[in-house]
Amino acid sequence: MTSARTWIVIAAALLAALLVPHVLPPGLSDWATRLSTLVLVAVSWNMMANAGLISLGHSGFWGLGAYTAALLANAVHMPFWFSVVPAMLLGAAFGVFLAYITGRLRGLFFAISTLAMSEALRVVALMVPKLTGGAEGLFVFDQIRPGRVTMTSFALCLAVATVAISYFLSKSRYQYALRAMRDSESAVQMLGVNPARFRIGVTALSGAIASCAGVISAWYTGYLDPGAAFDLKITISSQIAPLFGGLYTVAGPVIGSIAILTLSELTRLQFGYTAGVGLLVYGFILVFGVLFMPTGIVGLSHRWIGLFTRGRKLAVTRP
Amino acid sequence: MASSMASLLLQILVDALLLGGVYTLMAVGLSLSFGVTRIINFAHGDVVMYGSYAAFFAFSGLNIDPLLSLPAVAILGAVGGYLLFKFSIDRILEDVSINQVLLTFGLGLILQNVAVILWTGDERSTTPFYAFQSWFLSDDVVVANGRLIAFGLAAAFMALLLAWLRWSELGRATRAVSQNRAAASLMGINVRAIYGLSFALSSAFGAATGAIMSFLLPITPFMGFPILVKAFAIIILGGLDSILGTVIGAFFLAIAETAIAYLVPQGIGWAEGVAFFLLVLMLIVRPAGILGTVGRDA
Amino acid sequence: MNFARSSYLLAACMLAAVAFPALGQAQDTIRIGAPLALSGKFVSYGAAAKRGVEMAVDIYGGKVGNKKIEILFRDTQSDAQAAVNSFTQLLAEEKVNYLIGPIATPMAMAGLPAWRRTKALWVVPGATTPLLEEEAGKEPMLFHTFPYAYHYHISLARILRERLGTGKTLAIIYSDDSYGREHLPYAQKYFTQEGFKIVAEELVRAGATDLNPVLAKIRRVHPDILLGLVQTTDGIQLTKQIYVQRLNVPYLIGTAYPQLKQWQDATAEAQEGWVGVTTYIPGLKATADPKYPKLFPNSDAWIAEFTKRYNRVPEFIDVGAYVSTCMLLIAIENAGVLDDKEKVAAELKKLDVQTMIGRGKFVASIGGTLNQAFSDVVVHQRVKGTDAILFPKEFQTTDKIEPATYAK
Repeated sequence: MTSARTWIVIAAALLAALLVPHVLPPGLSDWATRLSTLVLVAVSWNMMANAGLISLGHSGFWGLGAYTAALLANAVHMPFWFSVVPAMLLGAAFGVFLAYITGRLRGLFFAISTLAMSEALRVVALMVPKLTGGAEGLFVFDQIRPGRVTMTSFALCLAVATVAISYFLSKSRYQYALRAMRDSESAVQMLGVNPARFRIGVTALSGAIASCAGVISAWYTGYLDPGAAFDLKITISSQIAPLFGGLYTVAGPVIGSIAILTLSELTRLQFGYTAGVGLLVYGFILVFGVLFMPTGIVGLSHRWIGLFTRGRKLAVTRP
Repeated sequence: MASSMASLLLQILVDALLLGGVYTLMAVGLSLSFGVTRIINFAHGDVVMYGSYAAFFAFSGLNIDPLLSLPAVAILGAVGGYLLFKFSIDRILEDVSINQVLLTFGLGLILQNVAVILWTGDERSTTPFYAFQSWFLSDDVVVANGRLIAFGLAAAFMALLLAWLRWSELGRATRAVSQNRAAASLMGINVRAIYGLSFALSSAFGAATGAIMSFLLPITPFMGFPILVKAFAIIILGGLDSILGTVIGAFFLAIAETAIAYLVPQGIGWAEGVAFFLLVLMLIVRPAGILGTVGRDA
Repeated sequence: MNFARSSYLLAACMLAAVAFPALGQAQDTIRIGAPLALSGKFVSYGAAAKRGVEMAVDIYGGKVGNKKIEILFRDTQSDAQAAVNSFTQLLAEEKVNYLIGPIATPMAMAGLPAWRRTKALWVVPGATTPLLEEEAGKEPMLFHTFPYAYHYHISLARILRERLGTGKTLAIIYSDDSYGREHLPYAQKYFTQEGFKIVAEELVRAGATDLNPVLAKIRRVHPDILLGLVQTTDGIQLTKQIYVQRLNVPYLIGTAYPQLKQWQDATAEAQEGWVGVTTYIPGLKATADPKYPKLFPNSDAWIAEFTKRYNRVPEFIDVGAYVSTCMLLIAIENAGVLDDKEKVAAELKKLDVQTMIGRGKFVASIGGTLNQAFSDVVVHQRVKGTDAILFPKEFQTTDKIEPATYAK
């Protein structure tokens, strides 16, 4: 069912991901890498939200991926492109564990469990310094760190791949299951999908993707510590981006990521270096986004397009 | 040998009880707002923080003792909470829970960073005389006055709240709404007004807690989040819709944390993780919490 | 439709991001990068450093020779990724040859890998972690103008032994963050070396509200000295609770926090008797440097000038950043105002100035840093709301250490 056109678009995007970093100035290169990691966690969070699972602990996956990559790099000099594999496996395993122990608990309970899990991971990272360097942090073995261009290409490719996966998922037969799951798990059974297995599948996939973001961040920064790797800001950003861009859509997390990164850069340039302004703006975005723009930028653009192409208001269904 | 063991146990008991009082204060406001509106107010910790700052400025600027400024701070909290509710949360009462989470989260971010901009990240503290006093319960066991006062106030607040819920007109209406929203409205109760009231009350408690925390904890714009997380854990442990459950949850957590801190090597480092561990355990074994009735569908 | 919209957005962002750094590329300026935490949890360090740097540039006259001094401040946001971005932006895009800052250890550590790619001349008026020394101490372009964690304990242990005698027992409290864990091994090493017996080592959680369990354990071993290796917030809690719990340890030692007004205001009467270690304290009567009296006047004059500008009393990071910036500017001038980092580095190594925080001369440190200055610390004690200075000899005001309130 996936048309040739889709494959061409994906191939073109991958090619761009590989080539463009060679011509980007270093500042933009950094920005592109940051964008990629944000897209990864945003798409991942969106995926879970799509299935009715609100995650408040996405930083847990990020940190898990980051430490896996860093520790393997230092212990066995595992190269960066391979380190995604164990990180993804661990992220998926962690997701499965989460889904399994929360059983049929939904909504709020799942959310709180994710928060508990990610905090627990952070405490562990702090309390076993022999393994993780503890609070002092860990340097990634410098000799095998790739150059900036390589890193950016790698990050962008992963971002493209992730968006592609989310696109395919939305076009698959699971899309109905996803919508159903948001409302009621028994409805899902009527579609012939096993809700428990489905939920485990979603969290596994979601977790794997989010862990990749951590891997990129570890290689890119070269240094990590528990506070940074399990930072709450990661969780916040992974929620704001899809909300702002358009919850439950494919393009939403991407657009939202670009939008909030740009917004945060602009706020900083505009307001100089006053403490707290950046996060204040985030707060306003969240509040006004929810109150006045619940379908995000994508939803808004749908409405405007509707107005232009048909001359009358399109009904926008609230997800 | 036996006496030092006894004295250790006494110490643990005293510390746990006093800590339980502090935890009760932290959790009660959240329990009230959640129990009634079923919305987790992620900005609750920041309301506590504002209460602390209000008490601090009253203390350092006007020389008013935090306990004396407490009623005023509570009223300010109630007004602030009600306004917050009216202008934002009220509009999304029917929305999916994800919107509620994000909205209150965003409110919290705004509150926190306004504080950072206004007052910087420097730590403040109120320093009333009783915060530095203590007395010996026995040879080795010391009771801090500040904590004792917090305990007493927690008990007083709880008594007042439970009495209000039980015997006053509005209180009973609130309980009705918390148990069954639809039935309550059928009985002629203005559900939305009750929501507003409980939010106002919950913020009043939060601000009052803040005033008390002003001499127990360092006051910074970032103090709210750890308080929120603890309160969360406590109301889950105790049961989301039970005030009494919250109290029990608070003491349960306090005893667990204190015991581990004293008895496990490096225990105080792991004590932070205790809350989460218990939380997950409770969610697996009995999601409704110790005294709650809210089951699977939150 | 969405694709088109998003690609327009992307193009706009790229343009914006490129346009801004392109502004401000003048030819005859000396450009110095300053990656500092201007927001987030380390903002108090970054803000202090910014004050020091700006004041230095201003007092220097805003120019070196006939070239204007331009400081490019970049906000590390107290976040590792943003720190990396700041470094990359300054080093790879703006191509500065000189960096000053960050102050906070995690920020400096995060920037280190990025710095390695270009190795600009890097002045670090902060970062006490010996991990920095391990990773980059031998780099000729690194100039560390702040003590390492071990410097604190070398002096502390010696002073305490000199005043209190050998064989005293010591209990250590340390926080489980990078601060506590980085200080602990050095405290252990140097105090043991000076003959102290360590009878307890207790971990506290950074940000913990209740320290009683730890204090109860310490009470039971009856130490002569308690050393609290924690940061400011925890320092406030620790101090207050020690007082309220009536812990009867005779000598209470902190690290950097007893000098801070924040801590003093918050702890009120509980602060009495606490000993602290710092690079600078008000009341230190340093004299002017004969060669650079305008840049390094005597302490009182400098403090007055700072207070006039910023309406607050300077603390150790303000002074440290000021002094470091001045030294860098002097070195640039001595090198002939060229943008040649090798020559400037050579001039920096030759400097020997008398500043408000002691002698400014770069030598090799014990742990292997090639260019280390200002490793001497000041040991002081809070007595009746003021500082009694115990060490070094030239600033000493007393040679008696007071016991703590509940030990009297």
